[in-house]
Amino acid sequence: MSAGYIDELHEAFHSDLVYRPEEIPLECSPRPKEMEQTLHGVMKLNGLVIRSLEEIAGRGANAVTYRAGKKFGHEVAKYFQKREDVEGALHELSDLLRGQYSFEVWKPEDKETFIIEENGETFIYLVFHDCIVRQTLRRNGLDQGGPLCQTLFGYVVGAIEEITGRKAKLEIVHTGPNACLKKLVLK
Amino acid sequence: MDIRVDKDACVGCGLCVKDCPMHVYELQEKVSVPVRPNNCMGCLSCHEICPAQALEHRGIYAAKRHYIDIKVCEMLRKVV
Repeated sequence: MSAGYIDELHEAFHSDLVYRPEEIPLECSPRPKEMEQTLHGVMKLNGLVIRSLEEIAGRGANAVTYRAGKKFGHEVAKYFQKREDVEGALHELSDLLRGQYSFEVWKPEDKETFIIEENGETFIYLVFHDCIVRQTLRRNGLDQGGPLCQTLFGYVVGAIEEITGRKAKLEIVHTGPNACLKKLVLK
Repeated sequence: MDIRVDKDACVGCGLCVKDCPMHVYELQEKVSVPVRPNNCMGCLSCHEICPAQALEHRGIYAAKRHYIDIKVCEMLRKVV
């Protein structure tokens, strides 16, 4: 490695900035636009981790990531207000996921209410619109519904369980390029 | 939801009929017809699967897209 190259590297990481501990930054630096490459880097890394996990653990990868997501959901929602009503819990969840995921409750036109009772089970359809998991999978050419989706599933289930104190289950009904339909089964 | 099918472009393959989980489409006289547009939740799987690109959705929420490769876009801008 030449001395010139090392000097050049040192020069790139040197500045005259005086940084004081009390100067807490109030906004992201650099600007979000300049973070685009970083975002893509993180997405690629996540995709690589998930692809490798799938290769190593096979179908077991889904269970591992689901459990991890669920644990995280429980931990995060611990600090949220406890609600018995599902509607309120979904509102809390929406706050929890803001900026990363956006979802809405949805029903087919032949159903009258959002809380549907069918074949002895009670459930709510959720349509996930903005989803960083979907973006990551599509960015890396991976299938939807795999281990990374399971992490989000676990996260949602864990958070709902923590907020309502009831057992819940989430099922993938359909995955698409613009939105995904999920079924939140309440127990 | 307003779904339009370009009848001249539709090849009647029925892929949108099979793929839609909400049974929005039906094949009528070898052309796809959106018979239950209010059941559409805007996943756009039908757009992706349609080989003739014959579908159009209006009044849909377009999810944020971060997955477009910046370098590919830069190259495309030079060409297009």
